[in-house]
Amino acid sequence: MKKVKTLSGNTLKESMKKGGCGECQTSCQSACKTSCTVGNQSCENANR
Amino acid sequence: MIHQYKNNGYNIVMDVNSGAVHVVDDVVYDAVALMEAELEPKTACAAELEPETVCAAELEPETACAAGQEPEAGQGAGAIRAEDSPAADSPEIPAELWSRVERQLAEKYGYSAQDIADAMSDIQELIEAEQLFTQDIYHDYVIDFKKRKTVVKALCLHIAHDCNLACRYCFAEEGEYHGRRALMSFEVGKKALDFLIANSGNRKHLEVDFFGGEPLMNWDVVKRLVEYGRSQEAEHDKQFRFTLTTNGVLLNDEIMEFCNREMSNVVMSLDGRKEVNDRMRPFRKGAGSYDIIVPKFQKFAESRGQMNYYVRGTFTRYNLDFASDVLHFADLGFKQMSVEPVVASPDEPYAIRKEDLPQILAEYDRLAVEYIKRKKEGRGFNFFHFMIDLNQGPCVAKRLSGCGSGTEYLAVTPWGDLYPCHQFVGQEQFLLGNVDEGITNTELRDEFKLVNVYAKDKCRNCFARFYCSGGCAANAWNYDGSITGAYEIGCEMQKKRIECAIMIKAALAEDEA
Repeated sequence: MKKVKTLSGNTLKESMKKGGCGECQTSCQSACKTSCTVGNQSCENANR
Repeated sequence: MIHQYKNNGYNIVMDVNSGAVHVVDDVVYDAVALMEAELEPKTACAAELEPETVCAAELEPETACAAGQEPEAGQGAGAIRAEDSPAADSPEIPAELWSRVERQLAEKYGYSAQDIADAMSDIQELIEAEQLFTQDIYHDYVIDFKKRKTVVKALCLHIAHDCNLACRYCFAEEGEYHGRRALMSFEVGKKALDFLIANSGNRKHLEVDFFGGEPLMNWDVVKRLVEYGRSQEAEHDKQFRFTLTTNGVLLNDEIMEFCNREMSNVVMSLDGRKEVNDRMRPFRKGAGSYDIIVPKFQKFAESRGQMNYYVRGTFTRYNLDFASDVLHFADLGFKQMSVEPVVASPDEPYAIRKEDLPQILAEYDRLAVEYIKRKKEGRGFNFFHFMIDLNQGPCVAKRLSGCGSGTEYLAVTPWGDLYPCHQFVGQEQFLLGNVDEGITNTELRDEFKLVNVYAKDKCRNCFARFYCSGGCAANAWNYDGSITGAYEIGCEMQKKRIECAIMIKAALAEDEA
C-alpha cells in the first residue's frame, strides 16, 4: 500500500479463536487502583 | 466503527471492531471520513434508526441493547442478545458511494486523480483484509453474562486499615475506610487465601495485593501470608503472584530484599515534585513525606533492576501540569511510572472539574511528545497509561468483561468482609460476604457480572470501549450513581490517553522503519 501503514491488523477477531482462558492479570492489580485500563495488558494464554 | 484523529503530525485511523490501527496520509484520511459518514450514521441506539425497534436497555436497565436487534419475549433477565446478523464482517460498499467519495476528494479537497486512485485502492485492500469498516461481531461473547460462571482470581487484602501518612485525597480516609483502625490477623488472611484457592477453579495464576492503609504497618502478617501461600501452591497446582502497594515510609533493606524475592510487582506511592507531593501527602502532623520517601524508592527501584514496579502518583486540580510530575519521576531515575487522576467527591477543592479537561488533555499531548523524544534519545521510560499492546494484547473476552471487580477480583477487610473492590470497602450496601461463608450476596455479585461494555449505554458507541473495557465501576458509582454508568470526565481523559498511546506507537514505528 502506498498511503497506509498498518500498525495492527485484525487482532480482536483473531483473539476470539483461543481467547478467554482467564490467566491474564486482573487490571487493578497492575498499577492503577483507580482506573480500569485493559488495553495495555498482555495476553498470557499459553495456547494462543 | 471508525475512529480517526490527527495528533503530533500523524493521521491515525482506528477500525474499532477489528482492532486494526493504521497510519495514513491526508487523502486516505479524508476518504475514510467521507465513507464513514455515509456508512455509519452516529446513533446511540437502533431505535433511532428503526422507530419500530425498541432498545432492550430501555426496557430492562440491566440488559444491554445489541444495536439493530429487537428484544425477544421470554428472554431471561440479564440476557444479552447474540449477534444474529450475517457473518460477513465487512459491508458491501455500493459502487455509487465509491464514485461519490472520489468526486468529493477531487472537487472539495483538490486531490489529484492519481492520489485518489491510490487511496481508494489502499482502502479496498484494507476492507478485503477485514481491517476497515468491519462490524461488531462480539455480541456472541456476551450472550448471557449474568449466568456465566466466574472464578475468583485476585484479592486485594486490606492488611492494615491504618496509615502513617494523612494524604488529603485518601479515599480510605487516612486508611480507616469509614470504620475503625484495624490490622488483619494472620488467621483472617489465611482464610482469605484458602477462599481464593477454593474459588479459583482451573485458574493457575492467583493474584494477591497487600494493600491498606499502609501494609508495612502489619509487615509480619504479610510475610507469614506469603509463606502460607507458597506452602499451598504445589498441593493445589496454583501459583501466587503477590504484590505490595506502599507509601514507603517504613521501607528498609530487609523489606526490600523480601519483596524482591517474593513480590511480582510493587506499587510505590509518590505524587511527583516535592511541593506537589508534600501538599497532598503529609505525615499526620503536617510534615512533608518527599524527602524521606524518595531515596528509599530510588533504592528499591534499582534493587529490582528497574523492572516490575511502578512509582505511582495521583494528580489533582492543584497540579494540572502533571506532565511535569511524570517527567520529574523520570529525572529521578525511575523507569516505570503511573500518574493518575484523583478520585474525589466533586465538592472537594482538589477534585478535577469538567472545565479542567482542556488543560489536562493538552498535558497528555505535551507528555506524549516528550515521551517519544526521550525514547528516541535512549533515555525512555514507561508511563502506564501510554503502554499499549496492539498485537499481543488482551483477547476480546477480557476486553469485554473489564476489571472483574465483584466477580474475579474482591477486596478483603481486616476482619474478613468481602467487597467488590478496594474502592467500595466500607460502603455497607456493597458488602458481598466474608471469608468464612464466602459470597452470600449473590444478587449483588450478579449485578457486577453484568458490568461490560454492552451493558453500558455510554460505552456502546465509544471508540475506546475495547481498550478501557467500560472503565471503573467505582468511578461510575461515585459520579453516575450506577455501576453500569460512566464517569464522563474520566472517559475524556481515557480517550486522550489511548490516542496518545497509539500516536506514540506510530512515531516509534516510523523510527524503526
